[in-house]
Amino acid sequence: MSEPTATQDLIQGTPEPTAAAPAKADKPRGLWHDTWDILKRRKIFWVSFALLLVFLVMAAFPTLFTDKNPEYATLARSMEPPSSDAWFGFDLQGRDVFARTIYGARTSIIVGVLATVGTVILGGVIGVIAAYRGRWLDSLLSRIGEIFLGVPYVLGAIIILGSVAPVQSNPGKTMIMTVVILVLAVLGWPVLARIARSAVIQAKHQDYVQAARALGAGPFRIVFKHLLPNSLAPILVYATITIGSYIGAEATLSLLGIGLRTPVISWGIAIADHTRYIRTGAHAMLFPAAFLSLCVLTFVMLGEAVRDALDPKLR
Amino acid sequence: MGRYAIRRLLQLIPVLLGTTFLINYMVWQLPGDPFAARCGQRPCPDAYINAMRAEFGLDQPIIVQYWHFLKNLLTGDLGVNFNNVSVASQLADSWPITVRLGLMAVAIEAVIGITAGVLSGLKRGGFIDNVITISSLVLLSLPVFVTGFLLQWLLGVQLEWVKPTVSPEAPFSELIIPAFVLASLNLAFTARLTRTSIIENRRSDYVRTAIAKGMTNRRVVGVHLLRNSLIPALTFIGTEVGSLMSGAIITEGIFNINGIGGLLWRAVNDHDFTIVVPIASLLVLVYLLANLLVDLLYGVLDPRIRYE
Repeated sequence: MSEPTATQDLIQGTPEPTAAAPAKADKPRGLWHDTWDILKRRKIFWVSFALLLVFLVMAAFPTLFTDKNPEYATLARSMEPPSSDAWFGFDLQGRDVFARTIYGARTSIIVGVLATVGTVILGGVIGVIAAYRGRWLDSLLSRIGEIFLGVPYVLGAIIILGSVAPVQSNPGKTMIMTVVILVLAVLGWPVLARIARSAVIQAKHQDYVQAARALGAGPFRIVFKHLLPNSLAPILVYATITIGSYIGAEATLSLLGIGLRTPVISWGIAIADHTRYIRTGAHAMLFPAAFLSLCVLTFVMLGEAVRDALDPKLR
Repeated sequence: MGRYAIRRLLQLIPVLLGTTFLINYMVWQLPGDPFAARCGQRPCPDAYINAMRAEFGLDQPIIVQYWHFLKNLLTGDLGVNFNNVSVASQLADSWPITVRLGLMAVAIEAVIGITAGVLSGLKRGGFIDNVITISSLVLLSLPVFVTGFLLQWLLGVQLEWVKPTVSPEAPFSELIIPAFVLASLNLAFTARLTRTSIIENRRSDYVRTAIAKGMTNRRVVGVHLLRNSLIPALTFIGTEVGSLMSGAIITEGIFNINGIGGLLWRAVNDHDFTIVVPIASLLVLVYLLANLLVDLLYGVLDPRIRYE
């Protein structure tokens, strides 16, 4: 897996030296409360939050932004440059680029979010089991994770998607989206398993876990009531950034022709369709690419803002 | 250290076996007929499919197939592709170009990434720091192919400073832009990692001691701070060699470079997977060896690290 590795080690940003606001000193303050206090003072958080809202509204209600039909094609207008009538111009098939770019948000966000959910579930379960059971199961699962990490991300996706949904085949909309989501999750779990594993190993020997065990709590209760809530922060941060990198990964696979295919409207497909027309009509490619990058940036920025706020070293 | 290296090399064997088995399994055993697209729009005749399955050994159980693969790999025989062209000769033609591109990318990553990280870490909160932090964030959010197409369009088509595509021999000068594109993502990560560790180490006792002894700023930064702050960046650059190879598939496709990635890109589009297995195995080996090299380099950078 490529992009998101080592993300969790990074500490970024220039946090203002915050005097821990002594608002209500009588009440004990939790980690999330502290984090929120820092977050709401950060400009970068509000910028990324606003952008996130825009993209979510765009994905949920595309008709708010455009009343044009993204499927409607007039070949006579093929590759027309941007004008006041069509802000982003027309693509090769004479379809409105602005409308297609707006409608593309839904696909990207669905794929990014669901693939991340899959990764968190798969990686989280494997990581928690490995850390909790330990011994031979831990080494076995860690080795398997290494095997998956050893296969370069794009290569693994090419191999799986190339066999399941070859370039020339024409699978249905839902089918191909499901396959792409599953492939991203299957290739991405080892990093999350490592994060979950180390978080649980750190928490495992804490007094409160020992106390819970001494009181007779079963493994399920210990994991769900005690270990998971205390390991949630790093997983959450990684997941936010992963949504961004999966959106980029989806576009990359679509570009290679093995990801999403034409009946689906997506930024990656729009870019892929016009790579050969870079000299005559770059607009059909540049606008979707800009939206794609901005969307990835939004999730990465949000994740980093939350991480900075959670990191006690930077307080 | 020698014994440590040998033990690590031995530990590579099971991982390598597992990975190559996984790749073989995924390429040949997943649902979907590997020969389905060989006959244009029509379905292939059964006789053809049976003949091809027999030729590539697909009628045998997976374990037997894998055994043949290993035997052939060890004797240096990588087989032929669906068009009867030797896989080994295709690899021999394209491998040097990808190695050149990859080494250039690693050099760009290391030099620009570490320099930018040190500059911004030393002047934390200053103007240069802000510029570098923001531009690395932007670089981080641009997928490799967006950076690639953007630079191709800007420098190749609009400004005409460089040729938009690389010629077959792929000389050094034409590879600079593709190598930068390939390096862009890791470059941003390297810069941020270096920045973080410089900021952390600047507060450490040994730096204060060095300053208190009256050493020049250059010596404090160059000898004490830098050497201790390089480990995370170095780890990252080493472990990400694998993802660099992923990026090479995209970059070589965009700039039409005849390397491993270009080979793979064309193989995928022709739906010919014979070449994917050897390439993938080779890339995994590169990844594992790069990780080992990083672990060995730790000891050079930090004498406190001992290999048991």
